[in-house]
Amino acid sequence: MALIEVKNFRKSFAHKTVHENVSFYVKEGECLGLVGGSGVGKSVILRSLIGLEKADAGQIVIDNQDITYFDEDQLIEVRKKVGYAFQGGALFDSMTVFENLAYPLLAHTSLSDQEIADQVKSQLAEFGLDDTQKLYPGELSGGMQKRIGLARAMILKPRIILYDEPTAGLDPYNTKKIQELILRLKSKGVTSILVTHDMPTAIAVCDKFAFLKNKVILEQGTIDQLQQNKNSLIHQFIEGNIL
Amino acid sequence: MNDTILGQKIRDQLEFLGGVSILSKNCFSEIRTKPFHLNLLIDQIYFIGVKSFPLIVITALSTGMVMSLQYGLGLEKFGGKPYVPRLVASTILREMGPVFTSLMLAARVGAGMASEIGSMVVTQQIDAMKALGTSPIKRIVIPRVLACLIVLPLLVAVANLVGNIGGLIVGSTELNIDPQFYYRRVIETSNLKDYIAGFGKTFFFALFISLPSCYYGLTVKNGTKEVGIATTKAVVTASLLILVGDFFLAKIFWIIEKWL
Repeated sequence: MALIEVKNFRKSFAHKTVHENVSFYVKEGECLGLVGGSGVGKSVILRSLIGLEKADAGQIVIDNQDITYFDEDQLIEVRKKVGYAFQGGALFDSMTVFENLAYPLLAHTSLSDQEIADQVKSQLAEFGLDDTQKLYPGELSGGMQKRIGLARAMILKPRIILYDEPTAGLDPYNTKKIQELILRLKSKGVTSILVTHDMPTAIAVCDKFAFLKNKVILEQGTIDQLQQNKNSLIHQFIEGNIL
Repeated sequence: MNDTILGQKIRDQLEFLGGVSILSKNCFSEIRTKPFHLNLLIDQIYFIGVKSFPLIVITALSTGMVMSLQYGLGLEKFGGKPYVPRLVASTILREMGPVFTSLMLAARVGAGMASEIGSMVVTQQIDAMKALGTSPIKRIVIPRVLACLIVLPLLVAVANLVGNIGGLIVGSTELNIDPQFYYRRVIETSNLKDYIAGFGKTFFFALFISLPSCYYGLTVKNGTKEVGIATTKAVVTASLLILVGDFFLAKIFWIIEKWL
């Protein structure tokens, strides 16, 4: 059963159309790689899935709920089910790592201070970031910020997670760490969408792909199906010859 | 071409009015629902109130001293020096205290709010708040608006006191007015209407500072360059609203005073 479904999605900014009739679905436990060149609007789709952008037309269904025209109050319930890992981590820079991770717990649970502290500690340990509790985001490397952003997105244990360029700008070591984290979350049954340029990571973690070009999804399927496709653009992208 | 520029300017103004109206409506509806972020409110009261204190004291002291000197020199020719305390006190309580304090706060706090919130938008922290199922209005805007509403009248009270002290210092040293006479004249001639006219405005000025500043911060779109533009717009808009609004508010309070 599809946990995420996008039907005939259309989105414009000012007079520029970014997407026309984009449709795809992601089944429970699956990981979809949303790939394509720079500026094709991959992140716009991701943001629309949690209502950070509003669709001009079409339908967005999350967990059997049509959220397309939800207001901010209704979206809060949806956002509790969906973790969003931002490209730069988007950590609150006036808060420590501990406070960043405790933030969703304080907002949405009635846990005691001790329970929150325990949960934050175990989450950081799971993400290999044990000694960072008291640090501020400015004191961390880019890779660590992304991993903490991911840890924060996962702390409410959402069923869905959306990754926006999780490996962009990272060295091979941190890229591998992120890949491992994504695979670990996938093995726990988390449904996900990965927006990326990084094809090796996408191939390593995604079950299927949607290739965006010229406002539409040009092709979707498994990596084998994409490789068998006759469209040279898709081949060039997979081989890293175009951005 | 001119039509396009004019059209764009009108559109911008309408967009601003609409945006601030929606922001005000959202603030009003969310202020009544839990959770109440008292700690964030206290942080803002400290930042807006305590941190602005020296600036307000210096501004008020200078204003009081200059007014006393100018009134004294002007009225001396007509033998009107005894009226200096009343004139200085009345001007400070009704106009200079609230307006100068608000302008100083607009420059310091309005700029700070717009740039801080704008930077949070650029670094996706505002998006992250939403993505985590929380409201930026509740956590970012409401504490700032409330803090301005609480702090501005208090700062104006301080400015009124310090401004009159400045007037007294210059009155006694430069104009040779007996300090006790000056003090008595201020106390005897200042009345409740002066306070109502002055303090009544501060609540409006607090909204004129906080709402546009938060609005411009939240509507930053294209990177850090726009943070600077938003900061400038916030200060200019808040200052203009204070100065233009002051006339209309003075008129309104004048009518109210007649009823009292």
